[in-house]
Amino acid sequence: MRCRAVKKTAEERMKALFAKYSFPPLEVIIPILEKAGRGERELEAQMYDTQLALAKGIKEILGLKDKNVKTLAKVWEVMFTFGEQKFEPIELTDSRFSVSISDCPMLHVGKDVSVNVKSKFCDLICTAGSKARNNAVLDQDIGTCSWDKSLIKGSRRCKLVIELVKTK
Amino acid sequence: MNYSRNTLFLISILLVTFGAAFVLIWRNVIESMNYADMKTVLTTTTATFGTLLGIITAGLMFTQGRFSELASELSEKSPDYLTETLSLEKIQSTGTHLLALRKAFTQLEAGTTVAEERNLYRRIVTGTSSMFAGLAVLLNLKLKQQGLSDTGLLVSEMDSQLYKMYKKERKGIRKEWQVLAIIKQVVDVWEAPATFFVEKSKRSTLQADLKNSVSILALKEKIDKSSTNARSEVTKTLSDLSNEISKISRQLHEDRIPQLLSQMEQASAIRGKYFHLALIFIASPLFINLLIMPQLSEPAAAFFKLIIAVTSLLSVMGVIFLLLYIHKILNV
Repeated sequence: MRCRAVKKTAEERMKALFAKYSFPPLEVIIPILEKAGRGERELEAQMYDTQLALAKGIKEILGLKDKNVKTLAKVWEVMFTFGEQKFEPIELTDSRFSVSISDCPMLHVGKDVSVNVKSKFCDLICTAGSKARNNAVLDQDIGTCSWDKSLIKGSRRCKLVIELVKTK
Repeated sequence: MNYSRNTLFLISILLVTFGAAFVLIWRNVIESMNYADMKTVLTTTTATFGTLLGIITAGLMFTQGRFSELASELSEKSPDYLTETLSLEKIQSTGTHLLALRKAFTQLEAGTTVAEERNLYRRIVTGTSSMFAGLAVLLNLKLKQQGLSDTGLLVSEMDSQLYKMYKKERKGIRKEWQVLAIIKQVVDVWEAPATFFVEKSKRSTLQADLKNSVSILALKEKIDKSSTNARSEVTKTLSDLSNEISKISRQLHEDRIPQLLSQMEQASAIRGKYFHLALIFIASPLFINLLIMPQLSEPAAAFFKLIIAVTSLLSVMGVIFLLLYIHKILNV
């Protein structure tokens, strides 16, 4: 009974966290920036701040203290879950983890926006997100994030790989 | 989902079975039926319809009883909302915030050429209008409940479109419990109903749209410094409105109002279905007894053979469908 109550509280805190730091509406913002011809850096900064606050909040709510790939993977998974993104874990080792995702915010950006523009913003957003999570979990941006952009090119799935870069 | 698929499958099997039975009856029995048999069939059919009508009436009365019970429970709670939860100051301040938002986003909508942005702002204007009209109705009811004359405080701020919306909603309020339905409607425009799970509602809410607009305005502010005032005003209004509405929402959930209203909606829908079934099962025996039976001579019976066979088959199918329907109601 007590365990259930604690779990509920964590879930409620998580919901409140995601309500407080909601993602910017890319489906609206990207056409605006495309038309204005600028603003990418500002969007990147906004995404970074939001994701950093979310990652730190998740760590605090779940009591995650370890600075390793497992914690990083946990934070990514929570973000996928609460961001309503379907995902399937593929691999998790001490230095690398990968997931398969079937949805991405860029898919909801209008059809009028070209694949090239979507691809550019996809890079920008994923880089900002990854950097924010690395900084929140590992205290430094030593993880690389790579993904095939097959989803925006019409495929049903996309693979995302996070890997730690060895530092001396 | 699975349940409805099972029911559909069951109904399909029943329809096919009855279709086959009908063909068999037509080929083997109807041809050899005489006048006396026809009369017996019609009498039995009428009796079956009468029995079904009894069952339906019992169901209708039961549902009506549940509906009245819920209505009285809600009616008991509604005066507290008008006197305590929704103070005059709260209605006035919420109304002012909504009007300010409506005005700001109407201007923003007019000033943008990006379709997605325009749609977002239009949704905000629609949402604020809907909430404002709801609040004006609640204010009118509150003043009426307290025996005060309506000062037209919110109505005076309305344009013709908003006034039409207000008039329509005000006209729709006939029972005391409907006050709570209006309050819930206002809250639902603002925020998504709470769910048991983490998934968010697919419907966009005014609160979410406003948050999105703040993100956009913040970005535009950095790009061309054009929307500094608009963003700070919207951010402040959003925060004030969130505080005001969340208190009302919390109260509604503590009193289980959304659940009670949803149960009422279900009871009302079932009551409507029972009512229509009752009409069919009253009309059919009357039709048989008053129109067919007195006219039924031997040549007429031969002529109406098919109709009589169909009517009797319908009564059997009616029994089956009613049982299925009762089964469905019990599983809701």
